[in-house]
This record gives sequence, structure tokens and C-alpha cells, in this order.
Amino acid sequence: MYTLLKRTAPVLALLGLGLAGCQPELEAPGADKGSADFSRYIAVGNSLTAGFGDNGLYLEGQLASYPNLLAEQFKTVGGGDFAQPLFNQPNQENGSGYLRLTGFTATGNPITAAVANNLAVRATTPQALYTRYDAPVNNLGVPGIKLSDIHTAGYGSVAGNPYFERITPASNPLQTYFQRVKAEAATATFFTCWLGNNDVLGYATAGGALGPAAITRTDTFQLKANRIINVLTANGAKGVVATIPNVTNVPFFTTVRVAAIKATFKASNPALSLYIQTSSGVREATDADLLTLTSSAAIGTTTPGNPFPVGAGLSATSANPLPSQFVLDAAEQTLVRDATTAYNTALTAKATEKGLAVFDANAFFSRIAATGIVSDAVNNTAAFISGNLFSLDGVHPTPRGYAVIANEMISAINAKYGSSLAQVNPNNYRGVRFP
Amino acid sequence: MTLKSLLLVSGVLLTGTAASAGGYQVTLAGQKNNGMGGVGVGLSLDQAAMFYNPGALAMVKDRGVQVGVNATMARQAFRSQYGGPQRELKSNIVTPFNLYAGFGSEDRKFAAGIAIYTPFGNKVEYADGWEGRYSLTGIDLKSIYVQPTVSYAVTDKLSVGAGMVILAYGAVNLQKDIPVEGAAGAQPAHVELDGKATTKIGFNAGIYFKPTEKLSIGASYRSKIDAKVEGGDVKFTNVPASLGSRFTATEFDATLPLPATTSLGIGFMPNENLTLGFDVNYVEWSKYKILQFDFRGNNGAGGLVSPSGQVGGSNISTSRREYKDAVTLRLGGQYLLTSGLTVRAGGSYDFSPVEDGFVTPETPDADRIGLTLGASYKFGSFGVDISGQFIDLKKRTQTEADLVANNTADRVAGTYKTRVLIPGIGLNYTF
Repeated sequence: MYTLLKRTAPVLALLGLGLAGCQPELEAPGADKGSADFSRYIAVGNSLTAGFGDNGLYLEGQLASYPNLLAEQFKTVGGGDFAQPLFNQPNQENGSGYLRLTGFTATGNPITAAVANNLAVRATTPQALYTRYDAPVNNLGVPGIKLSDIHTAGYGSVAGNPYFERITPASNPLQTYFQRVKAEAATATFFTCWLGNNDVLGYATAGGALGPAAITRTDTFQLKANRIINVLTANGAKGVVATIPNVTNVPFFTTVRVAAIKATFKASNPALSLYIQTSSGVREATDADLLTLTSSAAIGTTTPGNPFPVGAGLSATSANPLPSQFVLDAAEQTLVRDATTAYNTALTAKATEKGLAVFDANAFFSRIAATGIVSDAVNNTAAFISGNLFSLDGVHPTPRGYAVIANEMISAINAKYGSSLAQVNPNNYRGVRFP
Repeated sequence: MTLKSLLLVSGVLLTGTAASAGGYQVTLAGQKNNGMGGVGVGLSLDQAAMFYNPGALAMVKDRGVQVGVNATMARQAFRSQYGGPQRELKSNIVTPFNLYAGFGSEDRKFAAGIAIYTPFGNKVEYADGWEGRYSLTGIDLKSIYVQPTVSYAVTDKLSVGAGMVILAYGAVNLQKDIPVEGAAGAQPAHVELDGKATTKIGFNAGIYFKPTEKLSIGASYRSKIDAKVEGGDVKFTNVPASLGSRFTATEFDATLPLPATTSLGIGFMPNENLTLGFDVNYVEWSKYKILQFDFRGNNGAGGLVSPSGQVGGSNISTSRREYKDAVTLRLGGQYLLTSGLTVRAGGSYDFSPVEDGFVTPETPDADRIGLTLGASYKFGSFGVDISGQFIDLKKRTQTEADLVANNTADRVAGTYKTRVLIPGIGLNYTF
């Protein structure tokens, strides 16, 4: 036996060596910046650029903003620090406040509650103002801003947009968004520009009740889009221009369905149906009409002095229709779609003229709505709550949603500038949190 | 004494491996064969013929008892399509074993024996937080076959044999994380499926022909057995309470085919010290089309009204496998160096049954090259066999786009590279 051990010892030793050398190594893919220079990146845009979600702007969302995710990838190819106006003061991480999911009703409808502690609110009257952020910022995303607002003096004053106010120099409260972008663009080498969503979104989420004037005119849109892209590229910076997604694809309009509401009414009385107030009068709703997420709280509630709950009615009387603000009817959808198409034509034409990368967010969100997007065995869809991509407000993405947006932008950048930036792993960013 | 204690030990050793042959097949059934690239169908080396070719058993010179055990050490590198660090498996050692006892009639016409071996198995445990965690965090698949065997020498040149193959023990434990988000900082939601297979019976048979002292040929077949788990346990952990109604299952059923194998082998004995073997195995993996789990039971997590048998809101889970039949080529030889010492070497090439875009984390398969070495030393009736195998799997990449196109997006996008090292030792006693 001893002889055997002696004879096999070298073999065993070899095996040990073999095992140590057995672990395979896969080389990390190289990253290259191509023809772009990411050393100073600025992000121009609205709530989507700020990292808004769950009907609020708060620290977790800001950290998962697509510009912040892009900047992390840019750093692998010479990108510089990327400053955001974070709500990072102690006990202010909840920023403007936001919605959280607290559970489901017996019928499976989500119940949400407002997070109202640890806010960064410094004043509430005449309007809410948030803790100022006076340090330099690279993320110029301002929730609520329309492209039509960029030349409005005082938009960053205490009477203007509180998100722009908190980053507008106190010494220059009348500085417009355009002027601010111009100042930042002077030293920027790379930019993303995703403006224009709110020029049609406000009209849509209010169910068209504000009237067609709430949609920014196409000629105004084109003029301002051209001006801001001109100023962003004035010093030779390269960048990405994103198009405007058709908002009717988001859960805010796709979760509450006419057919389902009708079925509920008819279950209690086959003569009942869903009636809606449109700009051309009251009529029975059809499957082509979109109901807002907020309508679920109104539909079926009782109103004093009316025999029918809100929305439910008989064709003979069509009494108590669902108010216009809860319905984007077929005619209103056409206005939204036409405006979106016209905006995107303007944005794409200008980006092409300047040789910029284009992130076609409209095509991307249409694809998401149709097929979803898979990330490492996880199926992400445009479904409310369960789809992982849209936050509790039904319009803004979750961190997961922002991650897939960042990946699409990276694809557009790599294709245009010959860079080889790695994508981010969407599964490292959360969908909706469940209690 | 050593033999006896090893026999006792082997009874409690776990079987299974990070697949030492294509798919979840394990071909480590004989310690001598292991050193020779896994050849054996056209040879009559020792009692392991019961596995390789029961027809050759009657031609095995000695009767005896033998036991072998292998230590499978798989090392893997994985890189996600989305970048991030290289992921490596947790270091597991699994120990496929084999045990044979063979006896013969005085006139050497009849032989009979019993074989216990582990033809299929798979154990993979991924590092915490790896990119494929929603597909798999770990699997442990075990099988033990028990095979009573008889063999008859029709002439001194031709023998036949057959065995009753009993799936005496089969078990699967499969775990993965569930892609739902709980409170910030909460442990990931997780599901564990754990079940035992019901006992099933198949057969194997073989024929062996040795026309001259210098040449032998053999053919063998082992039938398919469907390993079936009925009423395995489903266990959830860390599922957010508000989602309880979507995760109510307590039991699962599943079936995994353990496919049929047909083998042909040739042996050359150019002189009395040298033996060379060449084998071809054909495994009918194409029977493995889908992996399906059916769920039932109600753990009450969703209250009384919630649907029963739910895992993520569904009571069935299907995943495409679509394996194709696969061939393994083996070449090996042994040389009697001194009267006590025999040395061996060999190699194999194993075509993967897994098609591009279908690679799963539980079987991160690819075409594989195996190189083997071995040696035996004999002390009278006792013998010791040692073997070492090095298996190199080709680097294999699949993108998310490939997965979506194949409707196989329930697995992970990235690049796998695996190597396996398998030292083994066997003891035998002949009479």
C-alpha cells in the first residue's frame, strides 16, 4: 500500500495542480468610446430624465435615472463625474413624496398610499418648494417641463417650476431653461436630449378635458426643438435625441378597460352600460375609448340626486356619464397621436441634420407594449404593477424601466459613434415593490 | 478491510456530477474504463462490462467484486451579456460511484452479477446573486441504477448478455429566485422544488464477439427510463405577503427522460500487453423536448379564496429543451507495463445534445473534449485502479435575442466556459 501511495503521489500532485489551473477565465469585453467624447456629459429633459417615478421625485429614483446609469457606463471609457441634484440631505430622501403599494383589494386592485415623511419640502405656500441644490449639476431633468416652456423667464423662480427653481441660481431667478442649457452646453462634450413629452402628455392624462390648446403647436415645438439642439451642438458636442412615446401605450391608459367596466355593470343589470362625456356630448363608451388609471376611483361611485352611479347609465337616459377628464376618447387619441407623430418628425429631422444618434422611444415603447422585453429569464411588460417597467403612477418607469431605456440609448450611441459601451443589467434595478 | 469500509461508505455517498458526459449523462461506470477515454463496449476488461456491454460479461476472465468512486470537480466561468463580473460556481465535489459483483459457472459458459451505478446526475450551484438567478440558483439531480445481469457464452468467441435496469433511487432538487421585489433590503424571494422519483424498470442488453485473439467487437443497448416525480415538495421563502395568492402550490409533478443509449465498440489486442478500444455511443436525447412542472396544493398563503397550486400565478411551468440525439466518440488503450502495473490513456469527443440558444443554467452544455489517464496495480487478488479525467467544454454564447427567437427566454444570456476534473479510484478483488 505504501508503495502505491509513493507511486501515485506524483499523479495526485499533478491532479492538484490541474485543479488549480482548471478554473476557466473569460475575458471581460473591452469598452471603447468610438468617435464620441464622454468626458462631460449633460442630460437635458423632463421628469423622465430626472428619474421621476411613483408620482414623485425621490432619491432612489434619482439614483436610477437613465442619465445616471448612462454616466456609469460612460465612466468605463473616460466619462467624468456626473452630478445630479439629489435629495440627499439627511432625512430628505423622499423628496417630493411618492406613492407606495400597500396591498390589494379583495378583487385584486392595487391599494397605494402616499409617502409623506422625510420630504425635502421647504415651503408649501403658495406652492411647494423643495430643498435647493446649489452645487453644479449635469442632470438638468426638470419634471413637468414642456419644450414650449424653455424660453419662459421666471420658470425657475419661486413662482415657477419648483424642480427648476431648486437648481436655478438664486442670483438669477429669471434665467430660462434655454439659458441654463446654453451655459452648461458651453463645456459639455456629450448630451442626451429628451424633451417634448409633456407638450402632449398633460392633455392626454387630463382626458383631453383641457381642450386642444393644451397640446403645444407643432410649429412652436419644431422651432424650440431646433433651438435647443442647435445650442447643445454649438460647441461640437455629440449626443442622443430621444423621440416622444405615444402616451396611449402606458398603463395609465391601458389598465382600466371599457369592456371590463361594462361587464361589471351588466353583471348587476344587463340594461346598464358605461357612458362617457365627450367634447361632442354624452355617448356609450366603446373599446376604442381609453379610461385613465384615476377613473377607477370615480367609476361606479354614487353622486347625490342621481339614480345611477358615475358612468353607469341606460341608453334611454344616459344619465350620470363619466366626466371627460377620465376618458381619452377616440377623437382625442387622434389628436395625441397626430401631435406625437409631428413632434417626432421634427426631432428626428433635426437630429439627422446634426448627425446625432436617435433613440426612437416611440418605437421602443410600442414594442414594449406589444411584446414586452426579457432580461435574464424575467419577462418585463407594459402591464401595470406586474410588468416591472412602469411605476405606480402608470406613466413613469420604475428603476427597471429606466435601465431598459438606458440600454436602448447605449445601443443607439454604439451604433452611431462606433463605441462599445456595455449595457446595464436591468435585473439589478427593481420593478414595483410588494409589501 | 479497505474494500469493506469503502463499500459501506459508498452507500451514503451522494451521486451526480456536473455532467461528465453530454446533457446530464454520467459515464464514469468503470474505473479502468475511465482511464481509457470511457471505452468498454468492445472489451471485456472487468465486471464493469455489466454497464458497458453485458454481452461481454461471460468473457471476463476473472470473477470478482469491485467498487469505484470519482470526485467530479467542475469549474465554470460565466459572463452575462450585460457585463458585470465573471461568475463562478460554488466549489462542489460530487461523487459518482459504481459497484459490481460478478460470478460465473465453472465451465465459464454462464456469468451473472449485480451492478450499481449512477448513469445520470447533475449538480450545479451558482454563486449568490448571479445573473441567471431567476432561471436557476442550483440543481441537484441524482439517480442510482441497480442492475441484475446475466451473460451466456454461446461459443468461446461469441457471448450475449442482458440486465434488468432498475431506477432504484432518483431525486431532484431545483431552486431559483423569484423575480418579485419585496421591501428594500429584503432577501430575494425563492422557490425550492424537491422530490423523489418513483422506481422504474428498464433493461440493457449486449452482444460480444471475439473472432481472433487480436480483435473483439461489441454492441450494447440501454433502454430509456422516464424518471417521474409525483408529489414533490414546493417550498417558497421570502415571497412578499401581498403576493401570497400567486404562490400557493405545495406539490409538483415532473418527468425527466433518462434516454436510451446504443453503443458500438471495437477492441484491438496487437500483442498481449497492449489493448486498444474505440467506442461510439448514440444517446437518444431527442426524447427530451420540454421540462414541465405541474403544481397543486394550497399552502393557504393567499387565504381561502385564492386559487390552488399557483407558482407565480400559474399552475404549470413548461420550458423548451428540444435536445437532439447525440454521439460520443471514444478512443483509449492500456499497456501492461510490469506484471503488476498497467497504465492507461484515452480521449473522447462528446457532441452536445443541446442546440444553440437552448443552453440552460442547469446543464450549461457544449461539445466537450475529454483526456484521460489511468493506472492499475495488482497485489495478487487485490487490485487498485486510479483514473483522472480532464474535460474541456467549448465556450458557448447565447444572446437575449437568440433566446427570444427560440422561445427560450426563461434562461440567461451570456457566455459559459466549463472545465471538469475527475480523479477516481477503484478497488477490486478477483477470484
